[in-house]
Amino acid sequence: MRRALSWLVILAMLWPRTFVQAEIVLPHDAGSHPDLRTEWWYVTGWLHAEDGRNFGFQITFFRSRNEESAENPSRFAPHQIILAHAAISDPSIGRLLGDQRAARAGFGLAEALEGKTDVWIDNWSLRQSGDGYTLSLPARDFRLALDFKPAQTPLLHGPGGLSRKGAGADASSHYYSLPQLAASGTLTHQDNSFSVTGTAWLDHEWSDSYLEQDAVGWDWTGLNLADGGALMLFRIRARNGSVRWAGGTYRKPDGTLTWFKPVDIRFTPLRHWRSPRNGTRYPVAWRINAGTLEFELEPMMDDQENDARATTGTIYWEGAVRAMEAGQEIGRGYLELTGYWRPLQL
Amino acid sequence: MNRLAIMKAVTGPVGDHPGRIFMSLLGIALGVALGVSIHLVNRAAVGEFSQAVRNVSGQADLTVQGPATGMNEAIYPYLANMPEVALASPVLEVEAKLPGRSETLRLLGVDIFRASRLLPLAIENGDGNPAAASMLDPQAVFLSASAAQWLGVRPGDNLTLQAGLAPVQLRLAGILPQESYRQRLGVMDIGAAQWRFLSLGRISRVDLRLGNGVPVDTFRRKLAASLPPGVEAIKPAAAGERAASLSRAYRVNLNVLAMVALFTGAFLVFTTQAMTVLRRRAQIALLRVLGVTRSTLSWLLLAQGAAIGAVGAALGIVLGYLVAFHGLRHFGADLGGGYFHNVAQATIAAPGSLAVFFALGICAAMLGALAPAIESARTPPAQALKPGDRERALARAGITWPGLALLVLGAALTPLPPVAGLPLFGYLSIALMLLGTVLLMPALAARSFGWLPAFRSVPLQIARAQLHGAPGRAAISMGAIVVSFSLMVAMAIMVGSFRHSVEHWLEEILPADLYLRAAQRVETAFINPETQTLIRQTPGIRQADFLRSSDLLLRPGAAPVTLIARPLMGRTISEILPLTETGAARVSGDPPPAWISEAVADLYGYRTGQRIELPIGGAQVEFTVAGIWRDYARQSGAIAIDRALYIQLTADWRADSAALWLESGISADAVTALLRERIPNGAWLDIAQPGKIRAISLEIFDRSFAVTYILEAVAVLIGLLGVSSSFGSEALARRNEFGMLRHIGMSRRQIGAMFGLEGAMISTLGALVGLLLGWLIALILILVVNRQSFHWSMELYPPWQLLFGLSASLILAASFTAVLAGRHAMSCDPVHAVREDW
Amino acid sequence: MLSIRNLGKSFLCPESREVLHDVSLEVARGEYIAIMGESGIGKSTLLNLIAGLEMPDHGSIRLDGCELVGLDDNRLTRLRRQKMGFVFQAFHLLPYLTVSQNIALPLALNDVSERDASERVSSLLASIGLAGRGGSPVRELSGGEMQRVAIARALAHRPQLILADEPTGNLDPVSASHVQALLRDQVRQGNAAGILVTHSPAAAATTDRIYVLNPEGLFPRDAA
Repeated sequence: MRRALSWLVILAMLWPRTFVQAEIVLPHDAGSHPDLRTEWWYVTGWLHAEDGRNFGFQITFFRSRNEESAENPSRFAPHQIILAHAAISDPSIGRLLGDQRAARAGFGLAEALEGKTDVWIDNWSLRQSGDGYTLSLPARDFRLALDFKPAQTPLLHGPGGLSRKGAGADASSHYYSLPQLAASGTLTHQDNSFSVTGTAWLDHEWSDSYLEQDAVGWDWTGLNLADGGALMLFRIRARNGSVRWAGGTYRKPDGTLTWFKPVDIRFTPLRHWRSPRNGTRYPVAWRINAGTLEFELEPMMDDQENDARATTGTIYWEGAVRAMEAGQEIGRGYLELTGYWRPLQL
Repeated sequence: MNRLAIMKAVTGPVGDHPGRIFMSLLGIALGVALGVSIHLVNRAAVGEFSQAVRNVSGQADLTVQGPATGMNEAIYPYLANMPEVALASPVLEVEAKLPGRSETLRLLGVDIFRASRLLPLAIENGDGNPAAASMLDPQAVFLSASAAQWLGVRPGDNLTLQAGLAPVQLRLAGILPQESYRQRLGVMDIGAAQWRFLSLGRISRVDLRLGNGVPVDTFRRKLAASLPPGVEAIKPAAAGERAASLSRAYRVNLNVLAMVALFTGAFLVFTTQAMTVLRRRAQIALLRVLGVTRSTLSWLLLAQGAAIGAVGAALGIVLGYLVAFHGLRHFGADLGGGYFHNVAQATIAAPGSLAVFFALGICAAMLGALAPAIESARTPPAQALKPGDRERALARAGITWPGLALLVLGAALTPLPPVAGLPLFGYLSIALMLLGTVLLMPALAARSFGWLPAFRSVPLQIARAQLHGAPGRAAISMGAIVVSFSLMVAMAIMVGSFRHSVEHWLEEILPADLYLRAAQRVETAFINPETQTLIRQTPGIRQADFLRSSDLLLRPGAAPVTLIARPLMGRTISEILPLTETGAARVSGDPPPAWISEAVADLYGYRTGQRIELPIGGAQVEFTVAGIWRDYARQSGAIAIDRALYIQLTADWRADSAALWLESGISADAVTALLRERIPNGAWLDIAQPGKIRAISLEIFDRSFAVTYILEAVAVLIGLLGVSSSFGSEALARRNEFGMLRHIGMSRRQIGAMFGLEGAMISTLGALVGLLLGWLIALILILVVNRQSFHWSMELYPPWQLLFGLSASLILAASFTAVLAGRHAMSCDPVHAVREDW
Repeated sequence: MLSIRNLGKSFLCPESREVLHDVSLEVARGEYIAIMGESGIGKSTLLNLIAGLEMPDHGSIRLDGCELVGLDDNRLTRLRRQKMGFVFQAFHLLPYLTVSQNIALPLALNDVSERDASERVSSLLASIGLAGRGGSPVRELSGGEMQRVAIARALAHRPQLILADEPTGNLDPVSASHVQALLRDQVRQGNAAGILVTHSPAAAATTDRIYVLNPEGLFPRDAA
């Protein structure tokens, strides 16, 4: 869950904008940008065990700059807050297994380093190593130990990696993805250890400003297409139910890149699921139109609701989905639905 | 004849001696009540303390605790990175001074992200949302409901605290959940607390949760070896126990009183039963003749004692509950003793241990009933039916060896060391001496009254002859006097000596003209070096000694010792510290000197001349014990070292108090005014002249002993009432004798005088023996019980006037009651009296 | 010596009842009389009136010419101390005193010097047959011996009037006759007046005269 940082977002919006328009330069920008208010590294994907079982997984590391303590010389001063969410989807369980952590950066116990991706809270970590990434995440109910190998070049969402989030020129973020990551490693849960392989998607996004005042939430999906293509789509919903903004990136297997304008994208709910825990109604199946593309999103399972109140103060839906075209699976990825429980602007 | 009827025949209707039974009940009830209330109050205090520990340590397996001045924060990542540690939560504890108030507010600086995983902190903003965001606000503080109420603030209000002599503004961001935070405290961000309360780089403790399957004790031992000096790893529960141990010694005094009351109660039961058995001797013998067995008889008499005990104990438990409840409400959990800081009123849970007190009350009563029961069952009935046999029954009590043996045994127990920090052998010794003396009373009475010269006056002559010839009866009344009076004397001598010693000590410890301190027992208020210079340069001040106090942990699990750094080098130590022992002159090459208080010498076994290591500034530093001094202020111990050395070791230039000597002819008031004017926020300084400090200290002393005095007075009053009731039944028992004496020509006045004289002689001897025994018990209290509980010595200063006053009033009161009792007995006419055979 | 005239006494409690009706009696010095009568007839009350321990409703009691009725308690106490001796059925010796001390009690009350008192006590001990046992505690004595000591105590200060209420009631016949004889002899020797209240004809037989108390008054047995 990367965008549901309710209070961090609110903080971000209370401060004067100091947005710096700069192009993404990799590999340096794979590291942390502590001068900007919010940042996250986000990995989702489908894993396949040798016995044929499928799992979805989602891990996120957030960094949030806290201006309030800027003058505090204490090493405990919460200048930077690191948060992490992790969840796996196992259809045999029927709901998410999730865990979350939060810590102030410092003492080497929780940090987000600059220059390359290296972020951790205690023994939860996501690190660039060699040409790939290593994830180590011993959670309460499961353990993930995965390596990711990029198969494609980074996918920049917008010119220079600048992704517009609203009509205003300053509503934007730096945003790139690594689609079609080859994942391998072990997933341990319910006393079983599975050797798993799969395809994953990494997002890295940082910004000084994100949501505009009247936005209540968003719908987002990132899909590894079966043909090797990659598709990211999002829309931001306004308080009155209208779509405040939309955008997306489509890269064909041959590398052809399309950046969608808001009018190119349409999300149509097909089916809803109501949370038995809090009654929130989520549209879990969709018809998606993006440019010439038209397909449907079907969840791996309906109940992929994530309760992250302890760290980010919200409840959202984030789950593994299949992209279906005329009954045919054309890709797999993740869908995120926020602002359905309560508006993110509180 | 059914059992009830037998019972009635044995004991007589209760209406026979309702006053006496009532007194016995009251004695037992008072003893049980005292015990129960002490227990309940302590339970509430310890419970409150453990609750507080639970709140702030949560479900931690271990707490790594630094001294009160804190430890280097580098220990936190070290602990957090240990493979056995699943979670480490750092805490900075601050006793924050409130400007203009003498009290402090306990603040916990926590890392909300860590702390919230150990305990469901459930801090809410008020709108039902987690308060993590506002927890990070460096202005924000969350208070418990009791703290907010105490300070009169509501969420959103500002709150001013004190750091050094400067104000710290905080905003009350929310209220902690009331059900788990009953005591007064506040929670804020650890980073903000370090910054705003000038504690950068320091933390107080780290709470640890260990990984699954890590054995806590094994890990604790492993960890202890790697911790820096002065830092210890304890289980959270141990912190509560430590708090309890601090007040344990205070409870000692109250427990002595409970013992006094219980003893008096047991003795009153004894006199009741003894008198009953004597008066009903013939009836009892008749029952034996009629076929009631010896054991039935003994059991009946014991059962009567038990019944008195049961009613008394039940009464005592109710009374104890009431006392505890109201005591907690009005005095706080330490009954004015000042041990449980920041503990709010506690609710009392019903403890199963009340059964123990109930049993104790019954046991005491049965103990009192035992001797009469055995004696009366043993007596051959034929003999008991003979006239004049009453004296024979009591004559048996005249053997002396058991009493002497108990006295010797009691004396032999006094040198034994404390058990688990409690002076159990001291108590036992007091009990044995009491019992021994009581057993010696008949022999003592017989001999003492035998020594009296033969009197010309007939009433005197008869009184003397009666006491000499029938010492058993006199012994019962005397025993009651001796038991209650000796304990009263002992307490009076002990408290008097203590007060005198404290008074003397206050003079010795306060030699300067003026004293100044930033705040009492607070880490956040201090005098910084600039202010120190300012004070030194204030006109009229000849010399200024600055003191720095901090905590030293000398032994894991023990309460910390206070380290006092003050200018000592080149001074005459005996003028600064009340030394009780001085070591040999220092040899060059010896480690620097340290002067230890008696408590340190007792608790850690240090002797003068010994080399000791003290954890100062994060390192073990070697010292030589140069002397031992008396310290009534810190029962966990104190060590004084030179301040220059302290600064060299710790780079801590702060001071928390100062002793000022003035130029001659300069008034203390003028200097006080000048200081307040010159020093920024000088109004926050506590400046006092030694006379005022002495007066306040003695007032506190008197207040903390006030409860003691009241309870003692009640116990003694019950003892006296017991004496009067024993005179009463004695007079009734001798009605026919009085009748005969009237026949042969003694006037009412003469008989009244005779009985009054008996009372006077009994109470005089009782008071003398009581004084003597009280003296012995006072010595045990001073040299054994107090020394082992509080670890301080005191000079023996008997309050002579008080003791003579007490003795005189006791003798007067006893004689007066005797006259009254005699007169009451004569109110029935002599004609009928002589006809009564038994 | 003792002169009683028209003595009357009623008790109001528990119910109004006349106990003594118009009792008159003269006893001369050296005379020893017995008063008999049914239980509850008022024998002891008569004795108490004579002793000044109760006050009559009417009538007069003169001892040695001195009117007792109307005297205050102090005067009566002094009269008893100096002029009367008592012997009780239950002996009423003080158990914590020795035999001699018990006997010397009235002497001490009358301020007799110690030397005189000890002489008197040893002569009395000899006369009651307990010579040499003056230092014994009284509880070591038999019942008969106790009553003999009690008689010695009653006579110690040479009273003019000796009042004995059933002195042999608690004794075996042998001891009783011994005590009766002793009492009679001592009254005579002391030239005192003696009144013995008893149920026992044998005891009464040792006296000079026997009176019987009945509701109509006190009458010599011969007359009744």
